[in-house]
Amino acid sequence: MPESIPFRWPASWADAANLELLKGAPIDCIAGDAPPPFSLGGLPFVRLDKDRPPEGLNLQEGVWPGVVAATRKDTAGGGATGAAWVDSNASVVRLAQLRKPGKMVWLTYTPPAGNTVVPLDGFVKPITEAEAYGAHWVIALDGFFAGQIAKRDEKALGQWQRMMAALRFAQSRRGQRPWEPVAPLTVASTFEGDDKLLSEEFLNLAPRRHLAYRALLASDIGARSFAGQKAVIYLENTPPRGAVLASLLEFAQAGGLLIAPLGTVDSPPEERRSEHSVRRAGKGRVAMPLQKWEDPFTLVDQVHVLLSHREDPVQMWNGADVDAFYVASPNQDRAVARLVPYASGPTLPITLSFRKTYRRARVVTLAGEKAVQPARGQLGTEIAVPEFTDYAEVELED
Amino acid sequence: MIKATSPCWTRRQWMAAAAGLAAPRIHAAPAAPSSPVALARCPAYDNRVLAGMRKMFDQLGGIGALVSGKTVAVKINMTGSPRDRTGYRPAWDTRWSHPVVIAAAVHLIGEAGARRVRILEGSTEDDHPLEENFLIGGWDPADLLAAAPKVEMENTGFLGYGKEYKRLKVSDGGLVYSEFDVNHSYSECDVMVSIAKLKEHEQTGLSLSLKNMVGIVPGTVYGDSAGYDQPAERPYGALTMFHKGNRQPPEGTPPEKDPQSSREPGYRIPRIAVDLVRARPVDLAIIDGIEAQTAGSGASLDAGSPRKIRLVNPAILIASRNPVCADAVAAAAMGFDPMASRGTPPFENCDSTLELAEQAGIGARDLKKLEIRGATIAAVRTPFR
Repeated sequence: MPESIPFRWPASWADAANLELLKGAPIDCIAGDAPPPFSLGGLPFVRLDKDRPPEGLNLQEGVWPGVVAATRKDTAGGGATGAAWVDSNASVVRLAQLRKPGKMVWLTYTPPAGNTVVPLDGFVKPITEAEAYGAHWVIALDGFFAGQIAKRDEKALGQWQRMMAALRFAQSRRGQRPWEPVAPLTVASTFEGDDKLLSEEFLNLAPRRHLAYRALLASDIGARSFAGQKAVIYLENTPPRGAVLASLLEFAQAGGLLIAPLGTVDSPPEERRSEHSVRRAGKGRVAMPLQKWEDPFTLVDQVHVLLSHREDPVQMWNGADVDAFYVASPNQDRAVARLVPYASGPTLPITLSFRKTYRRARVVTLAGEKAVQPARGQLGTEIAVPEFTDYAEVELED
Repeated sequence: MIKATSPCWTRRQWMAAAAGLAAPRIHAAPAAPSSPVALARCPAYDNRVLAGMRKMFDQLGGIGALVSGKTVAVKINMTGSPRDRTGYRPAWDTRWSHPVVIAAAVHLIGEAGARRVRILEGSTEDDHPLEENFLIGGWDPADLLAAAPKVEMENTGFLGYGKEYKRLKVSDGGLVYSEFDVNHSYSECDVMVSIAKLKEHEQTGLSLSLKNMVGIVPGTVYGDSAGYDQPAERPYGALTMFHKGNRQPPEGTPPEKDPQSSREPGYRIPRIAVDLVRARPVDLAIIDGIEAQTAGSGASLDAGSPRKIRLVNPAILIASRNPVCADAVAAAAMGFDPMASRGTPPFENCDSTLELAEQAGIGARDLKKLEIRGATIAAVRTPFR
């Protein structure tokens, strides 16, 4: 079941005739609140009950991905700093994977209701977004799309085929599931309690600032190595104690940067930087906020400066609304940067710069692939990614 | 002269002019000062930049007397988001002062005996250390920090490393503002160097060493993030207050002189640029015209613009002790007439900053009055249109 790709049977499809549509498609189960009143031709039905998820599955609601439209015609919705507001499922998926490792995450959201109209070509992005982070979207059509397909409208069928092609593309990359994020920062937290919103939003907003991270449950501190990490933020407003504190300080003393809540250590600060006081700890540093952490978006920016953009494993230009999820194989000889754009329409020409030097690179989109010559940039290996829609990835080899 | 028939005048201005008061009008100084302009060919951002700039400074009579023993502020240009590129081209090649040019200038300033060199730029989107914005843009600032002894950087878009904003008075009272509140760096310096890019601007026609000075104001005071009671802590957003005059700065910061004056960007920004140069005079102007882009000052143009950005390689460097003289030569090298007024390219929709600056007595723009040393304009002209 975990590897099954689910499809939510549209309410308006009153008979089994549309099962024909699924023949040869990579969809292999029907999901929903209740099964349709007819035989599904051998396809299993999966009840989407979050409280009693099927074996091997982790059901998360999620949100329709995209840049939130504003009421004014000439601008997108904005966050507190004027940056476009993006609805993304990246952190929902990654946090779910962290909490329940080994279970496949299914995102169960449906197309937006009310006055929001989703264009037919807008149904590929939910698939590519979920798959980029190793999850499945429970494919759901809105009333219009389902109706057009039922009428065998050519345009709707064409878009359906694009969706199926996106699924096949993702299936061909299943072997990369164990690949780990390339990130210099570990975000450690309980992701519960009073600071749940702060910590979850930090993960949600980090991609807006292109801050790459690995997430870690506070309970796993000590059990997992911080090898290769430049910084760890202990994202709670209550200071760590006991063995947790000892593990974190050990990381700092070995040369890392520990960013921890007020009261974590009491040694005198050496400098003030990015609204944090910074003190030496062995070969490394401990940074504590001048005031209690409150605003996750500001904190992401402050952490990025404390860490320094010099440590970014990948940089991106012209991708303000694009997430670059950069993962590498266990022996680091292969890697892929998965590019998930959230605005509609084609992206701008994007440049990626990788700190690591790669000898070969390919830009792969849903429309095809192209070998590209990595170029030497000022700060790393630069790859030019032509305009694309919905999804692209840059495959890299040593 | 700026014509009295300028379409952006308000009824109040018309009446004032008719009454002989000429409120916003600037009378030409009897003779705006002129300084020699060094013009050099430099085909690429390589070691020829340092050699070329050294020769240019020699052609200007050297900079030792100007900078020796002094704290030198170097205002560079890093317009717009550091995460944006024009196509695949780094901002350094298109719209920003190139780090190789900055490093060459810093090196020579240090070599000439400056006590301290401070590289300055105000971000309109963050309160990062300036070094971080170089990294975001894709350049290691270590090159610049090592270009001379005692080189520092500061993001002047907010308080930065200062404890309070410093007030600069506009000599002669100003056209739009009579005083500005700025980051401490612009008052705690002895010498001001403006390193600009050779480029056009959608609202001011040109963005050269004069216009570069608009960027000395902090976004926390004059940007969209500014509070009404007090400056914001962090900058973000454009300087809409400058462009459109939609509001006044926070309480406690001097407001503009006449809130009834034109709100048109093409009227306001050239005048504000002149005000800022009179508040913090430019002692040395350097214009990076090695590689550049046409049509606009950002990575993209305003929606609906009929123009398209084109990458150009004028392969020139310009320097002068007078920013108006430097900009006049730059305009000519771009294929424009520095004597042009509103309605004539590149000032189709704005008053000419050059003309206003000349009238304000900052410097001469008439090529016939300028001594150009090095290459000739005819030899280097690269038409931007």
